[in-house]
Amino acid sequence: MSGCRTVPSRRRLCGLFAVAVLCTTSGCAPRQGPVEITLQRFFGACDAEYGNSTDVGAAEGECGIITTLINRFNAENPDVHVKVNIVFWPGYDQLSAELAAGDPPDLVTMHESVISDYRARHLIMPLDQGLKSVGIDPASFTRAAREGVIRDGHVYGLPFDNWAPLWHINMNLFRAAGLVRGGRPVLPRSPEELLAQARQFKRANGKPYFVQSTVNEPAAYARNLFTFLLQQNANAFPDPHHIRLRTPEARRVLQLFKTIYDEGLTTKNQDYTAATSGFLNGQGGVYLVGTWMIGDYEKASKQPGSPLAGGYAVVPYPQLYPGRDATYADGHSWVVPTAKRSPQKQRAIFRLLRYLKDNDFEWSRTGHLPAYQAVIESARWRALPHRQEIERLVDVAEPPPPGVQRQFIIQQIVSEEMESAISGQKPIDTALTDAERRVNDVLFNLL
Amino acid sequence: MTAGSQEDRAMGGGSARWPSLAGLIVAALIMAAPLVWTLALSLKPNAELLRGTQTVFQAPYTLRNYADILGHSAIFRWLLNSTIVSLGVTFGVLALSSLAGYGFARLQFPGRDLIFVIVLFGLAIPEQSVIIARHQMFSALHLHNTYAGLILPGLAAPFGVFLMTQYFKAIPKELEEAAWLDGASHFRTFWRILLPLSLPAQATLGIFTFLSTWNDYWWPLISATNSDMFTLTVGVASSQMNFAQTNGLGFLMAQAVFASLPILVVYAVFQRYIVLGASRAAL
Repeated sequence: MSGCRTVPSRRRLCGLFAVAVLCTTSGCAPRQGPVEITLQRFFGACDAEYGNSTDVGAAEGECGIITTLINRFNAENPDVHVKVNIVFWPGYDQLSAELAAGDPPDLVTMHESVISDYRARHLIMPLDQGLKSVGIDPASFTRAAREGVIRDGHVYGLPFDNWAPLWHINMNLFRAAGLVRGGRPVLPRSPEELLAQARQFKRANGKPYFVQSTVNEPAAYARNLFTFLLQQNANAFPDPHHIRLRTPEARRVLQLFKTIYDEGLTTKNQDYTAATSGFLNGQGGVYLVGTWMIGDYEKASKQPGSPLAGGYAVVPYPQLYPGRDATYADGHSWVVPTAKRSPQKQRAIFRLLRYLKDNDFEWSRTGHLPAYQAVIESARWRALPHRQEIERLVDVAEPPPPGVQRQFIIQQIVSEEMESAISGQKPIDTALTDAERRVNDVLFNLL
Repeated sequence: MTAGSQEDRAMGGGSARWPSLAGLIVAALIMAAPLVWTLALSLKPNAELLRGTQTVFQAPYTLRNYADILGHSAIFRWLLNSTIVSLGVTFGVLALSSLAGYGFARLQFPGRDLIFVIVLFGLAIPEQSVIIARHQMFSALHLHNTYAGLILPGLAAPFGVFLMTQYFKAIPKELEEAAWLDGASHFRTFWRILLPLSLPAQATLGIFTFLSTWNDYWWPLISATNSDMFTLTVGVASSQMNFAQTNGLGFLMAQAVFASLPILVVYAVFQRYIVLGASRAAL
């Protein structure tokens, strides 16, 4: 009896084994779905307009372009699915929480100035080998992009762009002040010339030369200071753990901005929104703000009746000091948080990075500076509005020193103290001493 | 004599009413102004608001900002998440606070007063001071990006325990004693006698808990990091573009209106209980 039962059981087992082997070799095994990679980014959501669009060329703005880029990647790569996790700018609280929970995304947008914070704790991976595997050579990055993403000889992020504060200029008001020559704005070449031209502008227009965002503004003053320190060849960070601000160079910059403030050569008490719309409404001649506003102001210059109608120009910061031509810059990059991933997922991540690199021109339509020299040199980029005017940024953009951590909070402290000095709440020397002490406290207490 | 004239006399007569009425109207206008402003901005095109807000009360108006919100594929998922989490926390807090409040108010057990004081200490501990420990604990338990992870922290509600304890203490003991004489147990007395009497306090606590959970931002921000688990507050914030306050002011205001609509409904439906609960608590 038992033998009778055993034989059919063995046959059944053999039969099942044979079916299993056949299935595995012939492909009747359950089909594997696409590899899913999670991409976490800021830049907002615009599903209503671009949720189903793959037409990258027709998309506008940061959100529209990145959304359609990812849609197109998903459409063209059926074996990979990019799941997008959109976070509120800048998203670092969430990223830190995800890393602490051991559940980070696969790809994250990160400011180049923040890379050092995450790299120091080994929370993001070096990408050298992966980039090489998809044919991305760091030599193809612009100098600023290279400096922004390379730490100790290793690439920690795929650069996506560089951005810098610029001088957005109302040419109609400049013309009225006699500050246009050969169709181009007359720009100062020294602090003295800047004050003279600003006074001339105010006399002619009855309006301040500068439009500035200074209220609830965490970084604008600091970017001005760092730019003009670079132009004086002054090194604000003698090493990654110290800032040095009690210097004649820093005092000179603060004195310049205080004079501008005291003489009413700038708008006062405006936040970012007020300053942005103030420039649009012709409240002043030069608005100190980043690359991302080029599109909006260019559009306004095409609208009849706008104070900018037919009269908008944009240039990098002019060189006011004899040291060197330089402008503070930062950039957006894509980093890969440290985590265990399957080889398929790794390959999918780097395929996506290659795709993003290949589409850097599309991203540069946002106004940001391309991160790749080939795009900068391309005719189609140079044909975009005002790009030739800001092309000089490629040579003069300087990211903060690599290795300096907590740059967001450093900028905030420096801006707060500068604001105190410029508006007369503190003497300049006291503000610089306080800024130096507060920043050094932050850098001393790094984990 | 009509009821209206009786009311007039009670309020000090027709002419005497006008100053207080005028004062009330002015106060109401001041309170309503930001809401009207928000609503009006939400109906204006973003490009127009970039130039300035001086045209806010002039046509054209648009529903585009609302269409952009509703067009987001995840918005109803976030709405559902917020509803589940807010209702979960609210019912949990009501159940736990009522039971604990009854225990502290009516039962005698060793260490009762000490435990009550320890619970009250919870009122003085800011969430920020425990957030890292809590985050690590929830990580170890794999509770992030789950409804449990969003609901559990909200259940620790020392204010609810305190409120219910004080409320139960104010209810005459004779009511319970009558129930005991009829052979009711402690739980039955609580369930059939005291709980119905505490409904105004429950309503107040429930509404405040619902509102604070609905509006909570920080814990959902760091616990629900997967967009499928975002609550409405985190979701609408994530969909803002950089510099939204400048380039997308109308969209931002539409988000504010949209996110507050469920709250307004809750308030409108339960306002009678809020007023009743607050006034009884004051008594």
